[in-house]
Amino acid sequence: MLASFNWLKEFVNIDQDVQTFGDILTMSGTKVETITPINENVKGIVTGKIIEIKKHPNADHLYLCTVDFGNNKTLPIVTNAQNVFEGAIVPVALDGAIIDTGTQINASEVRDVRSEGMMCSVKEMGLDTSLFNKEATQKVYIFPQGTEIGADVRELYWVNDHVIDIELTANRGDCQSIYGIAKEAAAALDQPIRPVELYQTSKEQNSEIENYLQVDVKDDHCKRYTAKVLKVNKIEPSPIWMQRKLLNSGVRPINNIVDVTNYVMIELGQPLHAFDYDNIGTKKIVVSCVQNPTFTTLDGEERKIDDQMMMITNGEKPIAIAGIMGGLNSEITEKTQFMVLESAFFDKTSIRTTSRKLGLRTEASSRYEKGSYAELCKMASLRATYLLEKIGACTAVPGFIDIYPNPEEKFSITVDCQWVNQYLGIHISKEDMIAILKRLFLEVDALEGEKIKVTVPNDRQDLRIREDIAEEVARIYGYDKIPNTLMQGSTLIGHKTDAQQYQEQVENLLIGAGFYQTMTTSFTSQKIIESMRLQDNEAPVKILNPLGEDTSIMRFTLAGQQLELISMNYNRKNPKGRFFEIAATYHVNSNSDELPIQKKHLVLSTYHDGDFYDLKGVIEMLFQHQNVRFEAGGRELYHPGRKAVVTVNGKRIGDFGEIHPVVAKQLSLPKRVYLAELDFDEMIALNAGYTAKFKSLPKYPASQRDLAVVIDIDVPAVKVEDVINRHRGDIIESVKLFDVYQGEQIPDDKKSLAYTITFRHADRTLKDREINKVMNAIVSELQDELQAQLRDE
Amino acid sequence: MDKDRLDQIKQDFQEQINKIGNIKELDTLRVQFLGKKGVMTQFMKGMGKLSKAERPIIGKKANEIRTEIQESLEKVKNDIEKKMLEARLEKEKIDVTLPGRTCHCGVHHPLNIVTSELEDIFLGMGFSIVDGPEIEWVKYNFDDLNMPKDHSSRDKQESFYYRDDIVLRTQTSPVQVRTMRAQKPPLRIISPGRVYRSDEIDATHSPVFHQMEGLVIDKGIAMSDLKGTMDLFAKKLFGNKTKTKFRPHQFYFTEPSAEMDVTCFKCGGVGCPVCDNSGWVELLGCGMVHPNVLRACGIDPNEYSGFAFGLGLDRIALTKYGISDLRLLFENDARFLSQFN
Repeated sequence: MLASFNWLKEFVNIDQDVQTFGDILTMSGTKVETITPINENVKGIVTGKIIEIKKHPNADHLYLCTVDFGNNKTLPIVTNAQNVFEGAIVPVALDGAIIDTGTQINASEVRDVRSEGMMCSVKEMGLDTSLFNKEATQKVYIFPQGTEIGADVRELYWVNDHVIDIELTANRGDCQSIYGIAKEAAAALDQPIRPVELYQTSKEQNSEIENYLQVDVKDDHCKRYTAKVLKVNKIEPSPIWMQRKLLNSGVRPINNIVDVTNYVMIELGQPLHAFDYDNIGTKKIVVSCVQNPTFTTLDGEERKIDDQMMMITNGEKPIAIAGIMGGLNSEITEKTQFMVLESAFFDKTSIRTTSRKLGLRTEASSRYEKGSYAELCKMASLRATYLLEKIGACTAVPGFIDIYPNPEEKFSITVDCQWVNQYLGIHISKEDMIAILKRLFLEVDALEGEKIKVTVPNDRQDLRIREDIAEEVARIYGYDKIPNTLMQGSTLIGHKTDAQQYQEQVENLLIGAGFYQTMTTSFTSQKIIESMRLQDNEAPVKILNPLGEDTSIMRFTLAGQQLELISMNYNRKNPKGRFFEIAATYHVNSNSDELPIQKKHLVLSTYHDGDFYDLKGVIEMLFQHQNVRFEAGGRELYHPGRKAVVTVNGKRIGDFGEIHPVVAKQLSLPKRVYLAELDFDEMIALNAGYTAKFKSLPKYPASQRDLAVVIDIDVPAVKVEDVINRHRGDIIESVKLFDVYQGEQIPDDKKSLAYTITFRHADRTLKDREINKVMNAIVSELQDELQAQLRDE
Repeated sequence: MDKDRLDQIKQDFQEQINKIGNIKELDTLRVQFLGKKGVMTQFMKGMGKLSKAERPIIGKKANEIRTEIQESLEKVKNDIEKKMLEARLEKEKIDVTLPGRTCHCGVHHPLNIVTSELEDIFLGMGFSIVDGPEIEWVKYNFDDLNMPKDHSSRDKQESFYYRDDIVLRTQTSPVQVRTMRAQKPPLRIISPGRVYRSDEIDATHSPVFHQMEGLVIDKGIAMSDLKGTMDLFAKKLFGNKTKTKFRPHQFYFTEPSAEMDVTCFKCGGVGCPVCDNSGWVELLGCGMVHPNVLRACGIDPNEYSGFAFGLGLDRIALTKYGISDLRLLFENDARFLSQFN
C-alpha cells in the first residue's frame, strides 16, 4: 500500500521527519518497506497565467508569452510549445529554478528576445509521467482553471512529498487506506486524529431518492448495499489538491467523478462505483446472480459470466460485476446527467472466487478480498457526496438507500490485565494498559480487580480473543521494552536420536571416503524415469498442479538427480566425482486413508573414480556389522552383467552397479558411471544404536591354508565361499580371496580362485589333522557341487 | 718360539684388518683367525704340546691376543656399519618440496553445514530434533495451524497438491502439530526440513526449499522467554556482539507475532550491501502459539502457553557464504561443493 506522507499529515500531527516516522510505524506493527521522495531536485517552478501570446519576431517556431505570476508580476517567457493559449495556467521554471533532472534554468536572450524562464512539462515538474496520458506528457502542462497563480509547484503539486510503501499484514484490511494508516500513526505517536468531513444528511428536507431508484439485494453475499443519487453538474478535471493526492498514491487522475470515487477508496478504503443513471434505465438496481453468459466490463473486455458470480443488474441485464468492475453499458460519460453512487460490502470469499475465475483483479476486488467492513459503506458514500458537491461536480438528490439487513454488533472481550502481563512477561498497570488500548480507538471499561472490557469497533475484525488484545498492548507498549528472559520450569535435555546419530556417522564416513554430499530437488519427470528404464518399477506420486512437466512427479528413486548432476559435472569438464545423498523418496500408498509413503534412501554415485568393486567396497564398509550378501541382479537402470542386489538376512536393501550404456547415452553420461541406491530406513533399523562388543584377543596360534580352485567362468565366487563357510564351525576364523586368474594354463571357459583360509580355535591349538579333515571336506564338496578342480601348484 | 708365533699372528692380523673395506672381507678375516680352522684356533689347539711351565704364560698371552682380535673385529664392524648407514641415509635423501599425494576427502553440502550448526545450538538449549512427512494432510498443514479456509496460501496457484486433502507441506509447522498431538508438554523441538511452494525457480526462489521451525510448550512461557531465547540463539549463531530487534508482525498460528532482525553479520550493523545499508537483516518469524492451534492439538491454552519460530535455511546458507544464486545450492557442481570443506 502506498501512502502519501503529506496526506497522512493532514490527519495526524507528525513532527518527526519521514524516516523517523517510518521507523515508528514499523516498530508499532505497520511495516514500512521503502520511503521514496517524489523529486528532491525540483525548485523554483511556479504557476503563471498566460495573458498574451505573440509570435517571436525573429523565429518562426517560437512564441513570446506574457505570463502573469500574481502580485502585479508579469514576465516575458519564450516557448516553442504549440498547446499553450491565452488564459492557460502553466508551470514556469523562473531564473535559477531547477527541473527534475537537477538542471538549472536561467533567464536568457532567445534570438535577441528576453525570456525570464521556461515553461515545463509533467516530467520537468518531477512528476511520474506514467500517471498522465501520453499526449499530456509531451507538451507543456496546463493546470486546471482556477489553479492558484504564483504558487510554487513543489508545494502546490506535492513534489515535496514522500511515498511510503507499506507492507500490510493479512489481518489488517482496515489499514488499506490513508485514514487507516493515520489511525495507526496516531496510536503510535499518541496523537489525536482529525475527523473526515462528511455530507450532512440532516440538511436534507424530504427524501426524493425513492422517485429515482429502488434497490433489491437477492444475494446474501452482499451484506450491505447503499446508494446515493446525484445530479451531475459538470464533468471536468478535478482540482489540483485532489489530483496531487491521487498521483502520490499511484493513481491516474481521470475526471472529477472518477477521481472522487478513487480518492475516497484510497482515503477510507471503501471501493465505490458510479453508474450512469439514465443508462441503467429501469430505476432499479438488483444484486443477484444471472444466467447471461457474457458481459462487457468498463475496460472493453467481454467476460464470461457464470451463474455463481454475484452481479449488479438493472433487473433485466447486468450492469456490473459486484465488487470487481463496472460495465461498459452504464459507464459515466461526458453526457451523464445523473449518477448512482454505489457503496457496498460484499463477502470476500465470493469476490475472490469470481475474481479468480475471471482472472480479473482490480483495486476494488483486492480491497474486498483483504477484508473490508460493513460500517464503512455509509461513511464512504457520504464522504464522496461531500467531495462531489465541494468540487462542484454534483448536487445530491435528497435521500439515501441503505440495505443492511443484519447490522454487525459491536464485539467485546473481557481481559485480565494480570494475564496480559504474565503472557508478555511485562509489568504495567491496569491504567497504563487502558490508556494504550484507548490510543488504538478501542472503547475500554474497567471492571473489578484487574479485569477490563474492550469493545472493538467494526473496523477491527482482527480483535477477537484476549491474545489479540495482548498483542495490541505489546506493540504500542513496544516490543523492544519487553525484557529478554530465559525459560523457567522444566529442564529438558536436547539430544539426537540413535537414528539421527547413525545418519550423521554415515555422512561423516562417506565424506571421509571422498564422497561429496549433494542436495537435489524432490521433483522429477516421466521422461527422466523412462530415460532410466524405470517406468515399470512403480507408479509414481503425481502432483495435481505441477509447475511443469519436468517437475510433475515426486521421485521414488534418488538415481535420477544423481545421474543428472553427474552429467552436468561431466559436461562441465569436472574430471571425476564421488557423490552421495541421504534424502526422501515418495511412494504411492495403496491405502487411500493414509498419506503417500515416504522413505529415506541413500544414493552413492561415482564417475572416473574407481570401478564396480570400489563402490562395492564402500557398501561392504557400510554393512560391516551385518552379514551382507550380494547377488547378480537389480533394476533395468544398470548394465545387465554388472549389477548386484544387496540383501541382509534375506531382505533386499538395495541394488548397485554400472549404469546401462543406453541410459548413459540418453542422459549424456560418461561411459562408466557407478551408482548404488540403498534403503536407509532399513540401514537405520539395522545399525542405529550399535554398540561395539569387546572380544578377547586370541591366545592360540592361527594356521593358514591356501586353496586355489579352477571352476567354470560363470560360477560366481560367492558359491565357493558358501561352501567354505559351511565348514566355519569354531575353527575357521576368516576366508579371504587373494587372487582371481584367467589366462595361460587355465582353459578359456574356466577361472582360478585362490583363497587364504585362516584356522584358529579360541581355546586350544588346532592339530594338523583337524585342519586337513576340514580342507579335504571343502575340496571334495567343491568338486562335487561346483565341478571345481584343485589347481596344480 | 711360540711366543714369537703369537706376535707374528697379531702382527698379521693388524696388517690385514687395516685393509678391510666391507663386512664380507671382515667376515673372511674373522674366519681366517678365529674360525674353527683359523690361525688363532689352530694355535690354541697346539698348546697341548707345550711344557707345563710354558703353558700358562703362552696361554695367557694367547687369550689376550684372541680378545684383542675379537675387539678389533667388533670395532671395525661397527665402523663399517656406521659408514654404511651414513651412505644409505645420504642416498635416500628426497626432495621434500615435491607435492604430496592428494588425500581425497569429501565435503558436506553447505546447507547441511548450516543446518547442523543451528541444530547444535538448539540441542544445547534442550531442544530435540523431529521430522515429519513432506507430503502432508491439509488438516495438519493448514487447518490445525489456524489458517483461514479462504487463505490464498491454500490455493492451487500457491501450493502443490497430491489430492484435495493432501498437500506438499508449505512449512515444517505440521511437524509441530504432530508432536503436540503425540506428546504431552513440556516440549522443546526443532524441525528442519524440506518444504514446497509453487514458485518458479530463480536466483532467490525455488519451489523446493528448506526451513527450520521450533516450538516450545510449557506452563508459564511468556513472550519475554521467546525474546530471550531467540536473542541467545542469534548471539550463538553470529557472535556475542549481535543485537536483535523484534518487529510486530502477523502469522495465523501465533499471537502476538513478530519478525526478528539481527545486526548484519557482514558489517556488524554499520550498513553494507548485504543489509541494504540498514545494518539489520531479517532472520526469522516467531510468536506466541495461537490458542486455536493449542486447542486443535489437544493442549489447554489456559494451562499451557508456548512460542514458535521459523527461519529459512537456504537463505542463511546463501548469506553466510555470500552465495548470490539459490540455484547453485541445488546444482551440485563439484567445483562449488568442494569449497565447503
